[in-house]
Amino acid sequence: MSLSAAFSIISSSFAANAAQTAVVSKNIANVNTSGYSREVANVVTNSYGGADVASVTRIANAALAEQAAASAAQAAAQQAISDGLSTLAETVSDSSSASSTSGANQNGASPSAMLANLQNALATYEASPTSASAADAAVAAASNLASSLNAGSAAVEQVREKADADMTASVKTINSLLSQFKSANDAVVSGLATGANVTSAEDTRDSIVAQLSQQTGVSTVVAANGSMSIYADNGVTLFQDAPRTVGFTPTATFTAGTNGAAVTVDGVPITGASSPNPIQSGALAGYAALRDNLAPQYQAQLDQIAAGLINEFAETDQSPSPTLPSLPGLFTAPGLTSLPSLSAATGLAATIEVNPSVDPSRGGDATLLRDGGVSSPNPAYVYNSTGAASFTGRIQQLVDQLSATQSFDPSAGLATSASLGGFANASVSWLQDANQKASDAASYENAVATQAQSALSNATGVNLDAEMTNMLALENAYASSAKLLTTVNAMFSALLNAA
Amino acid sequence: MTMSANFVSTPSLAMSLVAPVQQAQASLATATTEESTGQYADLGLQLGDQAGYELSLKEQVGLLQTLTSANGLVATNMATADAALTAIGSSADTTMQNLAAWTPIGDPGVSLQTMGENALQSLIASSNATSGGGYVFGGINSSLAPLADYFSTPPSAAKTAVDQAFQTAFGVLPSDPAAASISASAIQSFLSGPFAALFSGASWTSDWSSASSTNVSAEIAPGRTAVVSTNVNQPAFQGLAQAYTMLAEFGGSQLGPAAQQTIASQAGSLIATAHASLTNTQAALGATQSAVTDANSAMSSQLTILQKQVDALDSVDQNATAARINSLTTEIQMAYELTARLQQLNLAQYLPVP
Repeated sequence: MSLSAAFSIISSSFAANAAQTAVVSKNIANVNTSGYSREVANVVTNSYGGADVASVTRIANAALAEQAAASAAQAAAQQAISDGLSTLAETVSDSSSASSTSGANQNGASPSAMLANLQNALATYEASPTSASAADAAVAAASNLASSLNAGSAAVEQVREKADADMTASVKTINSLLSQFKSANDAVVSGLATGANVTSAEDTRDSIVAQLSQQTGVSTVVAANGSMSIYADNGVTLFQDAPRTVGFTPTATFTAGTNGAAVTVDGVPITGASSPNPIQSGALAGYAALRDNLAPQYQAQLDQIAAGLINEFAETDQSPSPTLPSLPGLFTAPGLTSLPSLSAATGLAATIEVNPSVDPSRGGDATLLRDGGVSSPNPAYVYNSTGAASFTGRIQQLVDQLSATQSFDPSAGLATSASLGGFANASVSWLQDANQKASDAASYENAVATQAQSALSNATGVNLDAEMTNMLALENAYASSAKLLTTVNAMFSALLNAA
Repeated sequence: MTMSANFVSTPSLAMSLVAPVQQAQASLATATTEESTGQYADLGLQLGDQAGYELSLKEQVGLLQTLTSANGLVATNMATADAALTAIGSSADTTMQNLAAWTPIGDPGVSLQTMGENALQSLIASSNATSGGGYVFGGINSSLAPLADYFSTPPSAAKTAVDQAFQTAFGVLPSDPAAASISASAIQSFLSGPFAALFSGASWTSDWSSASSTNVSAEIAPGRTAVVSTNVNQPAFQGLAQAYTMLAEFGGSQLGPAAQQTIASQAGSLIATAHASLTNTQAALGATQSAVTDANSAMSSQLTILQKQVDALDSVDQNATAARINSLTTEIQMAYELTARLQQLNLAQYLPVP
C-alpha cells in the first residue's frame, strides 16, 4: 500500500460523494413532483479499495402503484356517474326550505309533485266548477306538469350529450397519453439495453399510467426487456410496443331512443351493449353507464308517465252507442291523432303538451276540462251535454282515474301496475336511490383512492428530513476526505523535505 | 437506507390534513344549512329510495289540505242553502197562521191575494239564493236562477199558463165578474186537476224552473263523494209555489166566498204537505253538512299524523346538529393549528447556516 494508492482512494471518495450528493439533490428537487419515486445511490468498494457509485436504484412499488391506479379508476367512474345523476336529481329535488308550507309547490318541480298539484287543482275545480279561475288554475297545473316532463326529458338529453362529449374528450386523452407513453417506453427499453440511467423515463411512464387510470381502469405487465404493456381492465390491449387505436364517433344530438356509438379498441367495442366484455372502471366507463343505461332508463320512466297521462285524460265517444275512437284530451303531443301505446311511448315526455283547445294562453277554453270536447269539436266527445255550470261528472271521473291503478311498460324498470302518482313517485325514488348510491360510492372510492395515493407516496416519495440527514452525512464524509487529503499531502511534503 | 412502515414522505405529511379539513368544511356547510332550516340539506340524497315515499306523504298532505279548503266552499254553499230553506219554512209558517186566522166573512179575499203574493215573492227570492257566484238551488245548473220571476213584465210563462188554464176551465178570467158564479166544487176540481198539473212534470221545468234535477256532488274526503246541494224541482218547492200562486191569483178575484174558502183550505193543506217535505230536504242537507264537518275533522287528524311522518323523514335533530357544528369547528381549528406546527417541523429550520 503506497501513499499514492491513498490518493486514488480519496479521489474515488470525492467522486462517490459527488454522485450521492447529486442523488440527494435530485430527490430534494423533486420532493413535490407527483409520481416521482425517490432514488438511492448504491455505493460499492472498488478493486483498489475506494468507493464507487455502482448504480442508482429507483424505489418503485409496482403493487401499490397498481392499487392506487385501480382505486383512482373506480373513483373516477363513480364520480362521473354521480355528477350526471345529481344533474338529473336536480329536476326532481324537493325544495327543502321549511318556510314553504303552503300546500302547492312545496315539493319542488318533479313530475310527481306537479301531478299532485294537478290532482289538487282538479279537486278544487270539482268543488267550484263554476269558477273560471279554478278552471284556469287546473289547466295551468296541467301545463306545469307537461313542462316538468319536458324539462326532465331535456335534462336527460343534456346529460347524455354531455356524457357523449366527455367520452370524446376521454378517448382523445387516452390516445394522446398512449402516444406519449410510447416515447417514454422506448427510452426505457433502449436505455436498459445500453445501460443508461432510465429512472426519469420510468417516472414518466408511471405517471402516464396513473393519468390513464383516471380515464379507464388499466393493468400493466413489464416484459424482460423492460417494455411495459398496458391492458384495460377488461383485458383488451391498449399498448404493447406501440399504442393501439382507441376509436369513438361522437353523436351530436341525443333524443329519446338515440343510441350513442361505442368506444372501440382496434375496432372491438369496449363499452355499451355491443361489447362482449365492457370496461368496468375509469371515467370512460362512468360516462358510458350514464349515457347508455341510467339516463335512458329515466327517460323511459318519464315517457311512461307522459303516455299514462295522455291515456288517462283521453276522451271517449259519449254517444249512446259509441263508435268513434278515444282521442287524446287534456294532454296530447303535436301530431298525435290517436292514443299512444305504452310500449311505444319513446319520446313522449319531450313533446307532451296541454291541448291548445283547452289552454287559455293559446286561445283555448279552460271550461272544456269540465264539459269535455277537448279532443275534438265533434259533439260526440262532449260529456256535459246540457251545458250545466256545476257539472262535475267529468272532473270526478278524471280525479278517480288519476288514482286508479293502470299498467306500465316493464322497460321503465319500475312496477308495471301502479297509479300514475305511485309510478311517478317510484320514478323519483329510483332516481334518488341511484343518485344516493353513486354519491356514496364516489365518496367511498375517493377516500380509498386518497389512501392508496398516500400509501404509494409514503412508499416511494421523498422525506426531506431523511434527505437532509443524508446530506449531513455526505458533508461530514466530504470534510473527512478533505482532511485525509491534506494529511496525506502533509505526509508527502514531510517525505519530500526529508530527502 | 431501508424503507420502513414509519417512513412518511414529505408531500404526504404536508397534504395529510388537507382532505380532513375539506371534508370537515363541507360537513360544516351542510350542518349550518340543516341547523337553520331544521331539514336535511339535500333531502333527495339523504332519503334515496325513500324519496318517493316522502313525496307521496307530502302529496297526501297537499290533497287533504286542498280538500279541506274545498270543503270550506261546499260548507258555505250548504249553509246558504240551509238558511234559505229556513227562511222558506218560516214564510210557510207565517202564511199558515194567517190562513188559519182568515175567514171569508170579514174579508173578500184581498188579504188572501196579498198573503199569496208576499209568500210567492219570498219563495222565489229564497230559492234564487246565491253563494260563491252560483245559485244554490240550481242543481248542477247553477248558472241560471232556479225559479223564474212570476210577477215579471211582460207576464211570465207561468202566469200566462195559469190564466190560460182558468180560461180553458171556466171560459172567463178570474178577474171577470162572471167568475163569481163558479161553484166551490168546480173550483176544487180545477185546483186539483188542470191547475195542479202546472206545478209538476214538464210544465214545471218549462214555466217555473231552470234548475237541473241532478244535484252537485263533490269529493269531501279522499275517495268519498257526497251530494252537496239540492234543487227546486222537488215537491216542497212545487207545493209551496202552487199554494202561493193559488192565493195570489184567485184570492183577490171575483170568485164567491165559498170558492174563496175552498181556495184557502186547499192552499193550507198544500202548504202543510210541502212544509213536511221541506223539513225532510233540510234534514238531508243537514246530514251532508255534518258529514263534511266529520270529514274535515277526520282529515285534520290524518294531516297531523302525516305531518309527523314527513317530519320523521325530513327533520334533523337540531340539538345534535348544533353539537356537530361545535365539534366540526373545533376539528377545523385544530387542523389549522397542526398545519402551522407541521410547517415548522423541518430539519432545515435547525441546521446552522455554514
